[in-house]
Amino acid sequence: MRESLTPETVSLLLAGLTLTIALTVVTSITSFVVGIGVGTLRLSANRLIRSAAGTFVEVFRNIPALIQIIFWAFAFPSLFPADTRMFLFFDNSVMTWLTTVTGLSLPYYALAACFGLTLNTGAHMAELFRAGVGTLPRERIETARLLGAGTLALFWWVLLPGGVRAAFPAITTRLIHNMKNTALASFVAVPEFFQTVQASITQSFRAVEFLTIAAVVYLLLSTVMAGLLRRVDIRLNRGRMHVRPD
Amino acid sequence: MSDQIDFLLDSLPHLLFGFPGQRPGGLVMSVLLAVAGLGVGLAVAVVVAAAQDARSRSLRRLADSYVHLFRGIPLILLVLIIHQLVASGPILGLNNTPLGSAVIALVLYSSAYQADIIRTGLRSVPVGMVEWARVIGGSPWQVYRLVKLPYSLRVMQPALSGQGITLFKDTSVVVIIGVAELTTTARIVLGSDVGNTPFWVATYLTVGLLYFVVAFAVSRLALRGERRYQAGNLVRSLAIPTAKTGSRL
Repeated sequence: MRESLTPETVSLLLAGLTLTIALTVVTSITSFVVGIGVGTLRLSANRLIRSAAGTFVEVFRNIPALIQIIFWAFAFPSLFPADTRMFLFFDNSVMTWLTTVTGLSLPYYALAACFGLTLNTGAHMAELFRAGVGTLPRERIETARLLGAGTLALFWWVLLPGGVRAAFPAITTRLIHNMKNTALASFVAVPEFFQTVQASITQSFRAVEFLTIAAVVYLLLSTVMAGLLRRVDIRLNRGRMHVRPD
Repeated sequence: MSDQIDFLLDSLPHLLFGFPGQRPGGLVMSVLLAVAGLGVGLAVAVVVAAAQDARSRSLRRLADSYVHLFRGIPLILLVLIIHQLVASGPILGLNNTPLGSAVIALVLYSSAYQADIIRTGLRSVPVGMVEWARVIGGSPWQVYRLVKLPYSLRVMQPALSGQGITLFKDTSVVVIIGVAELTTTARIVLGSDVGNTPFWVATYLTVGLLYFVVAFAVSRLALRGERRYQAGNLVRSLAIPTAKTGSRL
């Protein structure tokens, strides 16, 4: 049995942790944007757009995140013939650039994991945003219309801030869930924190130590994220009476 | 195209029911795992939720840390931790079975979420109703069991069914310890054969569809149940526990 925490494993774990945080930040932002976008489309007056957005939500919400990640990482490239596949997903200037920037040997898998997580979390967020908009007083929207707000102005000044503010506690929970879901990227060979923990266990056979470290780190990440998002929530509600319509 | 269909037709029975001669696997195992996690989880959650609102401060702390711990780490990590603990020595007579580890992990994970739902539900019970039940002679335990729990279960139903659907999808992560549920079965069916690469897309689309059908159907059923309660049963739902238990209190 070897030493468990050698300098190499420490730097491996730190690199993994960095990637986990990066994945969390990127997918939080992208899924927020997707969620707001799709959630808004679900409020559209056009029935076709509304049902398309509804289908998007139901499909990507009801398929496990792990399946979506495996699909985009491993299954999707196999739709292309071998040489095209190699060029499209692994051997082109964009991927080379990503490798130099991020230090990942196969950046496509990380991209695929981000894509899967974004669709999954985005679908959940769309539903939360729509529910948030639903709690807004009808008069507020009517007043904005009366004052001459067009669709864009209504969205930007009324629906977006109001909906996000109302849904923010639920959005917080979902974003923390998304952070935990980044561990699923370990399945498609993305060297994020959980993957480096598993690698360290394989090297040292010290499962209990590394699993404990992993649990502590994820607990810390959850707690820190909850604290940060709580501050955002307070900021969003600044100058308002702290009464939530729920 | 036809070999795609052949491959899917060959593997679909495995994806649904597992492999012949072994215990049920595939989608059936995914559903069983979710049901076990939810059922046992609910029982644990009722106890945890009661402890969260207990008079003893240390008990409250303990219950809060339980919820915080199991909600704060990824399920895939929890599964691995439990499997490691079970594998390192026979606990509860479970000799190193991935299935046992998976069920324990799912119960712990699910119960932490369910405890929060139950606690919120219990707080929605009107204070007057509880006081009234106490005044006519109900012991705290009787009031809890006969008034608070039945009343709040109706309030919690949407959140609980949502949690159920989430847990069903989350069972996919037990693939990490090789329990033969739907995701693991898909991996076994595809194997490491490079010749199977063309079938990856079709197989994973099928797996996604199977998860979708179950999750979507359950969510629609839950919505229907919810509407029924809202429509006519509100008055009756308030009356049933009191009328039935009046003589016993």
